[in-house]
Amino acid sequence: MLRGMVGGSIVALALPPLEAMLDAHGEALADGTQLPRRLVTWFWGNGVALTNGSDAGSPIRFFPSQTGPGYELTPQLQPLESVRDHVSVLSGFQVSASIPNRRGHHDGCAVLSGHPFIELPSGSANYASMFGGPTVDQVVAERVGSQTYLPSVQLAISRRIVTSEGPSLQFISHKGPKQPLAADNDPRAAWTRMFASFSVPDDPTTPHRLAALDAVMADADELKSRVGMVDRHRIDAHLASVAQLRSQIDALAPSCDIPPEPTQANEDVDGNEPTEEVNRAMSDLLALAFACDLTRVASVQFSGSVGFNVFHGLGHSMGHHDMSHDAGLNDAMDASTIETMRMLAYLIERLGQTPEGASTVLDNAVIFASSDAASGQSHQVVNMPIVVAGGGGGALVHPGVHLSSPGANTSDVLLSCAQTVCPEITEIGSGSGRSTTPVTGLSV
Amino acid sequence: MSGCDRQVEGARALGVRTRTGARAPRMLAMAVTAALLGCNHGSASDSGLSGGDPDGDGGTDEIPAELEPAPATLRLLLRRQYVGAIDDLLGPAAAAAASPPANVSLNGFDAVGASQLALGDAEIDAYEESARAVTEAAAQAGTLSQWLACDPASAGEPECLRQVIRSFGRVAWRRPLHDTEVERYAALGTAAADGLGFDGGVRETIAAMLQSPHFLYQVEIGEPDPEDPTLRRLTPYELATRMSLFLADTVPDAALLDDAEAGRLSDSEGIREAAWRLLERPEVRDSVNAFFGEVWRLRNLPGLPKDLGTFPQWTPELALSMQRESMALIEDLVWEQDADFREVFTADYTFIDARLGFHYGLPDAASLDDSHARVELSRHDERAGLFGQAGFQALLAHISSTSPTLRGKFVLENILCRTVPPPPPGVVTDLPPTDGAQTMRERLEIHMTEPSCSGCHLLMDPIGFGLENYDGIGRFRTEDNGAPIDASAELEGVAFEGAAGLGEIIAETPDTTDCLVRNLYRHATGHIEGEGEEVAIDQLEEAFIEAGYRLPDLLVEIVANPAFRVVAPPQ
Repeated sequence: MLRGMVGGSIVALALPPLEAMLDAHGEALADGTQLPRRLVTWFWGNGVALTNGSDAGSPIRFFPSQTGPGYELTPQLQPLESVRDHVSVLSGFQVSASIPNRRGHHDGCAVLSGHPFIELPSGSANYASMFGGPTVDQVVAERVGSQTYLPSVQLAISRRIVTSEGPSLQFISHKGPKQPLAADNDPRAAWTRMFASFSVPDDPTTPHRLAALDAVMADADELKSRVGMVDRHRIDAHLASVAQLRSQIDALAPSCDIPPEPTQANEDVDGNEPTEEVNRAMSDLLALAFACDLTRVASVQFSGSVGFNVFHGLGHSMGHHDMSHDAGLNDAMDASTIETMRMLAYLIERLGQTPEGASTVLDNAVIFASSDAASGQSHQVVNMPIVVAGGGGGALVHPGVHLSSPGANTSDVLLSCAQTVCPEITEIGSGSGRSTTPVTGLSV
Repeated sequence: MSGCDRQVEGARALGVRTRTGARAPRMLAMAVTAALLGCNHGSASDSGLSGGDPDGDGGTDEIPAELEPAPATLRLLLRRQYVGAIDDLLGPAAAAAASPPANVSLNGFDAVGASQLALGDAEIDAYEESARAVTEAAAQAGTLSQWLACDPASAGEPECLRQVIRSFGRVAWRRPLHDTEVERYAALGTAAADGLGFDGGVRETIAAMLQSPHFLYQVEIGEPDPEDPTLRRLTPYELATRMSLFLADTVPDAALLDDAEAGRLSDSEGIREAAWRLLERPEVRDSVNAFFGEVWRLRNLPGLPKDLGTFPQWTPELALSMQRESMALIEDLVWEQDADFREVFTADYTFIDARLGFHYGLPDAASLDDSHARVELSRHDERAGLFGQAGFQALLAHISSTSPTLRGKFVLENILCRTVPPPPPGVVTDLPPTDGAQTMRERLEIHMTEPSCSGCHLLMDPIGFGLENYDGIGRFRTEDNGAPIDASAELEGVAFEGAAGLGEIIAETPDTTDCLVRNLYRHATGHIEGEGEEVAIDQLEEAFIEAGYRLPDLLVEIVANPAFRVVAPPQ
């Protein structure tokens, strides 16, 4: 069996490379279809610093003072200097899906879906919540996922994630309330999933693997008729994933160079997470996966909601969530925001350095980056820090702008981003978080 | 409004035994009590219901009218249950090759997540990879052939394949297989044997059966209760599976399956007898440890991050040593001493190795080695009970400091099953500056002057103040940041001093027992109990008390209780 055994070698390839399928101008595929579009959601936990740490009502330190193109880079946005033309900054947006406010962080995580979260009746057991609906990456993957080897990938950089309050805080990709998608947090595992799981032609195990999945599907179908509605949906999800695995086993390996297996592990070194190294390795892999068209949808959980990652490189010793609640550490919080933007910048740069015909992968991608709060100190979810990067296949405004839209719904931004990949998507979210109105001025 | 101006939900005056709901069926509770009085550990034959059931109402076989069980659901095997099952089915080498996906917990329980959440691509992928790796390892270790009781040369390969499918399936899927199922897998195996030979056919068949939902999920559909159309009784095989997965984190053994087949699990007497026998399995210790690993978070100790600038002594080995200490005390009380379980909060002895001995600064640390040995704490009561253990202190702390709030919150939520409301959403918490504060206590006390915070923090922090003598990695200290520590503290209005003082209050209050029973019931049944199950919680508490707070008795009573044996029709 091939899985995990590809090593650094380049697998014999069956399909012509994406490059060979381009038209003469390198602006579309030879058959006239557009180059693939991609969507990335990129998340960090606990918000950013306030202008005045001892006044929790003060605005956040993040946004430029002027709007429009050519906005000045604030210290928080300075790390995005090298890619500034590809970056728009959005201010004033609120997580409307948080209305009515029920619980800090849980409210804010809805920024990724636009669906108010679902509280789980807990009696006297621990509080927990689930997402109220699919996250935007899965809304898009639902439509374009079948066109690639993997419908979507989920990556995580920090491992210091809260697991005790349910899927809302633990995961940033959800197919639906009961289907959170776990992330790969080790670059080697991510590499295996993306680059080392292909069947080789004439693999003798292939027919047996397929026969096993067929038997499993027959079992599941029978079981489905004996359970209630709730479990029927769970079996449907099970069956859909078996079918997905079946199609992956059947698929021919895509035609591109397989990168060597990363050596970078995600294990603490001297008590510290290797955050920068893992962020680099994951971003490199994602750029290659897009270039190979292995997937078109990804989520990256840089750090968790209520996460307890430590910015040790900045001399910090405190967990990020704790720090966000300490008025006296507002400057340290600010330094962590700048460092976080530096990590985001690395991914944007890597996509920008990955050529695709006459353009780059970044030109054909959109990255939505935000957090679960504007300021962690008060859990406020108005005036959220939002960065939208990439060209969206020409759909997004270039050069990037600073747009201010006080009181607007963050789901509007999700809708704009989703439409760069699937223009036919007309709404995102539900209830108070529902949007049918993309952001004016973000798209061309 | 913070929601904390009132008392914490569920809070009652400590020391007064009260019950949730006044619907407890007194007669039945008495019957249970009577039955238990005649119950001798490990010898359920003495506990015949006829002898201990003066009311003649059938004891715990009588389904209380008030009981409203939760609907049946598919319950994914927990990761540890999957590995335990592979170990039983195919041996330790195969178990070592198993790589099922991680559990996702809901409401603090893996078992609740396992009965509600759906699987995705990554999980199905992991189960396939695991099944193939496990089967390959078993083939190499020669453990597949134990399922073959047939000679392919004389009986024919297809017939022997069916025999393997039936015998393996009965244990792996915890029930006899239907003919269509046997034929489905026989067809697969026969096709595989065509190219791979008979052994290869067996290997592929078993790899497939381990991916079936019948292996991966605990299927609890039940059969209609002839006397009550709103209920379904678990089938004997479903009940045997529920018992074994709960008590031993593995599939039923042959004896338990035989009990199910022979109808010996149809009454509480038979169930108790089977349960006591099950408790003799060595896996039960790990299973109970794993439960406390979940509800008391002890499983988070390995890999627990600490700031090494603040705590240079912190190592993964020390964290493991701390986890072992807590588990060793639990094991000793439950399985060696047959003790009142509440002693876990007051024990005047513990189990430590040299590493922990030095960490604690105990004079006899030098005489210890790498294994955990019993140490008397007569002159070191700062280490008495769970709350005196470094693992507890380190878990409930920040990365670079203590956290009286986290410690207090844990005691309220995880030990007493209180509901602490969340911080008020959207409220601007303009915290007063704490520049003048020297100690953690002083800083939090200043914060508690902020009205929007004080409601809840007044419930949590004063508990944690009593544990301020333990730093963020559980070392005993008398000063914080150069100032002497004031460890005066209170729990819901009851003053106490230090970990030993807290342990005594916790051991005495009935709410601790109530909470432990609830948490075990939640884990056992895979859901958070509803109002209609309070009658069962009451019965179980009563039984636990009558049994002298012995945990094994509680485990047995849980599986014998009607609430464990019935479900509502699926939703």
